[in-house]
Amino acid sequence: MKKRTYSYLIIVLTIYAAFTVLFTMLPRSTFSALEKRELATFPPLTLESLAKGTFTNSVSQWFSDSEPYRDNFMTMSMWFSDNTKLRMFHNNQSKVKFHAADSKNLTEGADVIAAAGNRNIDEYDNQVNANANAKVAHHGIIIAGEGANVRALMAYGGAEEGGVNYAKACNEYQRTFPNVKVYCMLVPTAGEFYCPDAAKEATKPELPTIQAIHNRLSDSVKVVNAYSALAAHVKEPIYLRTDHHWAPLGAFYAAQAFARVANVPFKELNSYDKKVIHNFVGTMYGFSRDISVKNAPEDFVYYVPRGVTYTTDYIHFKTNGNFQTVGEGPKVAGEYFYSYPDGSGAAYSTFMGGDAKITHVNTSTKNGRRLLIIKDSFGNAIPGYLFYSFEDIHVVDFRYFSKNMKKYVTDNNITDILMFSEIFRAYASGQELINFLTQPDGTYTAKGGGKNDAADNKKQAKKRRK
Amino acid sequence: MVFSDLFFLFVFIPAFALCYLLATFIDKKYLSNSVKQVNTCKNWTLVIYSLIFYAWGEPVYVFLMLFSVFVNFLVGRFIDSQQDEKKRKTALVIGLVANISIIAIFKYLGFLSQILIDLGIPISRPNIALPIGISFYTFQAISYIMDVYRRVSPAQKRYRDLLLYISMFPQLIAGPIVRYETIASEINNRHVTAQDFADGSFRFLVGLGKKVIMANQLSIISTQFLSDGINDMSTSGAWIGCAAFMLQIYFDFSGYSDMAIGMGRCMGFHFKENFNHPYCCETITDYWRRWHISLGSFFRDYVYIPMGGNRRHQALNIGVVWALTGLWHGASWNFVIWGLYFGVIVLFEKYVLLPYIKPKTPKFLLHIYSLMVLFVAKGTFYFVDFGELKIFLSSLFGFADVKFDFVSQAAIFDHFWLWVVAILFCMPIREKACNLTTRFCKGNVALEQNIFTVARIVTAVVILVLSVALLVGATNNPFLYTRF
Repeated sequence: MKKRTYSYLIIVLTIYAAFTVLFTMLPRSTFSALEKRELATFPPLTLESLAKGTFTNSVSQWFSDSEPYRDNFMTMSMWFSDNTKLRMFHNNQSKVKFHAADSKNLTEGADVIAAAGNRNIDEYDNQVNANANAKVAHHGIIIAGEGANVRALMAYGGAEEGGVNYAKACNEYQRTFPNVKVYCMLVPTAGEFYCPDAAKEATKPELPTIQAIHNRLSDSVKVVNAYSALAAHVKEPIYLRTDHHWAPLGAFYAAQAFARVANVPFKELNSYDKKVIHNFVGTMYGFSRDISVKNAPEDFVYYVPRGVTYTTDYIHFKTNGNFQTVGEGPKVAGEYFYSYPDGSGAAYSTFMGGDAKITHVNTSTKNGRRLLIIKDSFGNAIPGYLFYSFEDIHVVDFRYFSKNMKKYVTDNNITDILMFSEIFRAYASGQELINFLTQPDGTYTAKGGGKNDAADNKKQAKKRRK
Repeated sequence: MVFSDLFFLFVFIPAFALCYLLATFIDKKYLSNSVKQVNTCKNWTLVIYSLIFYAWGEPVYVFLMLFSVFVNFLVGRFIDSQQDEKKRKTALVIGLVANISIIAIFKYLGFLSQILIDLGIPISRPNIALPIGISFYTFQAISYIMDVYRRVSPAQKRYRDLLLYISMFPQLIAGPIVRYETIASEINNRHVTAQDFADGSFRFLVGLGKKVIMANQLSIISTQFLSDGINDMSTSGAWIGCAAFMLQIYFDFSGYSDMAIGMGRCMGFHFKENFNHPYCCETITDYWRRWHISLGSFFRDYVYIPMGGNRRHQALNIGVVWALTGLWHGASWNFVIWGLYFGVIVLFEKYVLLPYIKPKTPKFLLHIYSLMVLFVAKGTFYFVDFGELKIFLSSLFGFADVKFDFVSQAAIFDHFWLWVVAILFCMPIREKACNLTTRFCKGNVALEQNIFTVARIVTAVVILVLSVALLVGATNNPFLYTRF
């Protein structure tokens, strides 16, 4: 009897002791590649934080956020979660049926050109994976399909009335700069095109919000109908399956639609060198915590223009832990396309290396057109297709801008302003854009990213309904 | 600090264990010549670690607890020293008033003033944060002075040892409510065998698994439907969400109790059981003999019976006990309604169901009836906001726009095995498995014991490894989502 008790005690206590050593003695993780974020650091001790209990709380948080081998443990817990589902309903790859193409939205050419600039957008029915299996993962992320076809989609919670301020901002920019052409381009997320019928109830259509913003725009603001341009190419990889962003190819079609409305030259893809980052797994893995996303890596394909020369300058913002700008660096020259190795989760930062900066690209095109793009991260993939179209391209992220916009536009002789946003961001944005018009140079209060779009959106929708 | 926190598991527990072992050694080696075994070092270690444990979450309110224990210490000593019944009773009343005042101020003042404000009396609502575990430790303090008054146990002569009883970290913040008489003798005289330690540590791991593997995973489902999805709640969503919550709260709470009982056992304390497969009940009366047993028996022995029990105005006694049970759970109206709901059901069972219906009704129908009653009760328990409670109840009874949706279907199939295991473990399957094994071994005790040992080792290791993996991913810090 005693022998058995001791053998139990020895085994269990040894493992427990091993975990204790692992968690207390080994070097702690500082960055999670899985979640793409810096992990918590040990909190500073002050008398106040000790009395309030925030110090001890932060210590516990630090301890359970920066564990050694954090990503390995998380992968294991995701494996576990994945195995609590009933395989019978999920393991059948052939169940993913593909619909036949519908001629209405898939004919390229005349229809699409007419659609560009048209404010009334036709609805889109999923023609790619309508019958695919679907499940709802962590954070309400919809996981569609199986195996190599898995797509992680953000659920949209916004209502039609959203985005009022965004439309207001576009109108305000047009009023402030009567001699500048102002364009508005709103981009739907992958869920709009690839949500299986089974999961339709877990999300809302994005088109009503896009349409409603369009309807609020004054006549002089030019609408770029990226929606139809994308809808025409849904069978191509225009969205990343494992990331919340679109793919550079999707941005190409949107840029094409923009060039048509702006009436500037535009080159087809054969004028570009195709580059590939293999084995890319994007943000949706960490976000959905679903192992099937990790098991379906994809190629991150981007296009580098050929036969045009250009120089790129950056002003980098200094940001704090909450992604707020606290200062800015001097203007420095840099590369427009950053390069990342195969398997890098940061592939989307290929364009300009990220968001927290002001970018200026000077091209060899000489046509007197100077473009300012005010965008969120989806917009990063756009400028690279416009080097043949404009002689100057300025790129500003509306979460990080510290200057006076009136002065910026005047000083740089801007002729065209593209107000660009994906719909999640446009839904709740706008006021900061209006503030840019009056804020003095050196205003470092801009709120940044780092938050969860889907969750934010859901919260807002909830609040509104209340 | 909570038990299911990596910091607790792998910093606090190992540090405590080392110190406690050292203290045991010192007690044995140097202090065992004392006429009376008093566990000086062990008890100091336990008290100090308990205070650290509490102060970790409540660095200021720890002083409130020290003060509360001091008051009860004085009251206990006074009662014990007096022979005059009148004086003893007066001291008891003073002690009770002091305890009830403390809990009234820190738990119910906000609620009370809100009632007055709602009645139109212009006062300001005080903003007092609820000290963690105050309901538990105040009730233990009451149990102490009551037991001393009733001469069930003598008063504690050392402040340290009374503090140990009240603040002992295994049962400090989430029960069970340990009666003083249960462990009075073990405070100064306890010993642990290898078997005790093995049983205790296994019980602790079972509790950890219940909390981390079952409750935390189920909470994802219940939150999805009852919190995030409240505004588009479908009928199926209300049922799935509430079922998940029902299972979650059982595994959460009974898991905590298991961990407490297990840790107590590792130190030589024998706490009483707090749960006995409550969802296997046939009636609600039966349910309350199986769910949070320590609270039910507290109210029975210290409120219901002193008020007259079933000898006089029984209906009133039952009503009072259930209103108090509701209020004990939280200072808001939904808990009062929840308590009174149970009061009404228990009265109905007493006068109608038990004497007339039960004898003629098949067991499974009684079981379904009980689960339905509990379904509504758990929903009421969940929603502090009346608007949300209304949405929930109307959805539950089919008044939702959508009756069945994809999300509920996904919640079943995507967590299928979690549901199966959760429902199985609500039933006494461990006992059943043990009986089967015994029958299978046909008296071969060595074989039987070997099977039990291997099963225990495998279970413990799986729970430990899986719980750790799940806890690592459990931090809910926002992702650097749009950084690129």
